[in-house]
Amino acid sequence: MNVRRQLVRLTGLLPLALLLGAWELLASADDPYFPPPSSWWVAVRRLSELGTLLPAIRATAETFALALAVAVVAGSLLGLAIGALPAMRSVTSPLVEFSRTMPPPAVVPMAALLIGLGRTMAVTVVVFAAVWPIVLNTAEAVRSLPAVLLETARALHLSRRARITKVLGPALVPGLLLGVRVATPLCVIVTLLVEMLTGAPGIGSLLVQAQRNFISAQAFGLLIVVGIFGFLINTGVAALEQRVLRAWPPTARAR
Amino acid sequence: MNVSARMETPALMARDVPQPAAGEQRALGYSCHAVGVSLPGPQGSRKVLAGVDLEVAGGEVVSIVGRSGTGKTTLLRVLGGLLPADEGTVLLGEQAVSGPPASAVTVFQDYARALLPWRTVRRNVALGLEGRRACGRAERERLVADALDAVGLGGRGDDRPWRLSGGMQQRVQIARALALRPRVLLMDEPFGALDAMTKASLQDELLAVHARTAPTIVFVTHDVDEAVYLGDRVLILDGQPGAITDEVPVSLPRPRDQLTTKEHPTFLSLRHRVHDAVGGAHGA
Amino acid sequence: MARNLRHLNVGGIALLVALAALWQLAVGASLIDLDYLPAPTEVVQAGVEQVEAGALVTATLHTLGVALAAWLIALVLGVALGLLLGFSAAARMVFTTSVEVLRTLPVVAFVPVAVLVFGLSTRMEVVVAAWAALWPIVINTLGGVEAVPARLHEVAAVFRLSGARRIRSIVLPAAAPLILVGARLGLSFALIVAVVAEMIGNPQGLGHLVIRTQQALRTEAMFAGILVIGLLGVALNAALLALTARAAPDMFEPGKRS
Repeated sequence: MNVRRQLVRLTGLLPLALLLGAWELLASADDPYFPPPSSWWVAVRRLSELGTLLPAIRATAETFALALAVAVVAGSLLGLAIGALPAMRSVTSPLVEFSRTMPPPAVVPMAALLIGLGRTMAVTVVVFAAVWPIVLNTAEAVRSLPAVLLETARALHLSRRARITKVLGPALVPGLLLGVRVATPLCVIVTLLVEMLTGAPGIGSLLVQAQRNFISAQAFGLLIVVGIFGFLINTGVAALEQRVLRAWPPTARAR
Repeated sequence: MNVSARMETPALMARDVPQPAAGEQRALGYSCHAVGVSLPGPQGSRKVLAGVDLEVAGGEVVSIVGRSGTGKTTLLRVLGGLLPADEGTVLLGEQAVSGPPASAVTVFQDYARALLPWRTVRRNVALGLEGRRACGRAERERLVADALDAVGLGGRGDDRPWRLSGGMQQRVQIARALALRPRVLLMDEPFGALDAMTKASLQDELLAVHARTAPTIVFVTHDVDEAVYLGDRVLILDGQPGAITDEVPVSLPRPRDQLTTKEHPTFLSLRHRVHDAVGGAHGA
Repeated sequence: MARNLRHLNVGGIALLVALAALWQLAVGASLIDLDYLPAPTEVVQAGVEQVEAGALVTATLHTLGVALAAWLIALVLGVALGLLLGFSAAARMVFTTSVEVLRTLPVVAFVPVAVLVFGLSTRMEVVVAAWAALWPIVINTLGGVEAVPARLHEVAAVFRLSGARRIRSIVLPAAAPLILVGARLGLSFALIVAVVAEMIGNPQGLGHLVIRTQQALRTEAMFAGILVIGLLGVALNAALLALTARAAPDMFEPGKRS
């Protein structure tokens, strides 16, 4: 049954496989616009041999991880505040909405000007873009906490610390994780974006370099690298989420 | 209308059943033999119904009772063409049932999910008529208005379903069915989710509709009182897989009344009998 | 609506105004030692100058046009594809994994590729922005179709509604809330990617204006451009929300769906 389902899922790859196969067959090796997939692999391998690929991947991964960590901490605290205090929520709402819908590429030049180039600026921009799903989901989780839960904690004479760590905290975990799940791909995208726009070390700047040097095969190949990178990250976060939410009933895990 | 108040005679006579007015089509009945249905379950295919024999005369009200899990809903879905039978034959009139028949309408228990929340009550009732080429707009509006009046919702046509109470929403669903002037009404525990008083008044409205236009009604319920109160006959579905294990003709006079009929000694003995048949011996 | 206005007026806008005032004061009093941070008044002034020079308006119209065009293309294709996947188990089987793979590819990474394939042109912008907007629309349309209660499908069967009527009268209205969520996401993605494309590819539009003024160290003008981009994002989102609220004022139980 499981094997069958995996096979069915693999058939879903058919269109992509056919596309790549046809591309390989039809494109000529030195086509500047649509180089065949085999050339992508060659181009990426050359980058790796030159010693530029791995450091770039590492730089992107580090920026991403740092930004996600900061976003989780800042987002959950902010979300807690907003969720717990209705006044806070209405007052901050326009500001949050504006910041949330502000297109990240517009933030980069501003941040570059104010903070300068470098990792601090990159992390700041990524956090600014990706923190909102965490804020909003945490706030929603706080808002929809059953009153009964908190009353139970008080009725059992739990200390304030115990109330927070044993009741409140765990109750908010599913909502927080949902926010993290949404924020993760956002972190990846904005990290790449910052690299592309500022030339900061990472896969993003390699991509732009390939574009500026007109090496299509490299650009396509790096696109695949980005895809694999994103896939691994998303799978990792999903697996982490599954692991943490094992103790919760299935309804708590949103899709 | 040709109903005689017979209190002692148990057998149902054809002339006791209200007949449609002269000129309208004869009422349609069901004829099912050896019907069997299997449904996919967690451990593979499960036989839900087996060897079901069922006859419903045109214009009759037949209640089907049974405990939970005996396949009542499954049987009704087979009659309504929503589920094909794996074995046996299902005939409506002279036609085999495959897919929802044009002359039958199913009314579901979960009315909230069966109504379209984005349409007004009036437009909900009109849903089944919209596809009909032969029905012009004026005609459609007339049928919708008549149907709403028949269920007592004449003034609520422009409301949204979710603003109405549960009982009213179920009435909208019934009106939607009635707007098609169906010859067969299939009802799957339609009043199960309602409170006792709403249930009682809807039961009487259903009987009034039947007295007026005499559709064939197949009514599935787990409420024994309701089954006896509404039906000309009560069929008991029991067993795993389910089959019709007993049949109780209801010789109560029509029109029925919530108070007087239910105090009738025949009602009490019929009720007792059906209770025994349902909750009694396991298997036929 | 009036209630909402009263709500925001008091707290939220006050905060925004307070922040802007703080900014103005801080720069004016040289409290913040950032060489390049202009005061809000300077930004507004630069914005007005730009508008008068025509540059800001042209750029805004370009970016807006690209975003809307890309979004409309994505809407048509996305809803069609989403409906196809929703209705056809065969299509789902053949396409699902491919869709999963394609949609998780970070969209910004496509911009350099698009520049190489389509050159520095508006066409490149529209193509890549449409690609970005496509996926949330497809996914949400599919989700909307799958979320149609099974009971409604049976109601359609009971009343023997034809295929086209079934889609028009039952599936699309029932799926509409989710489709609209997808449409809103798609629009914001289209805007974002259009701006990115303008920053590293097509020398037109607001993205390019921001880069150009940044390189020329005209920081007030740059900030003005950034502000306009932000306002564009807010305005598009609000417009879409208002449009859908108008089209279906009391479609569902108020407060039940977001």
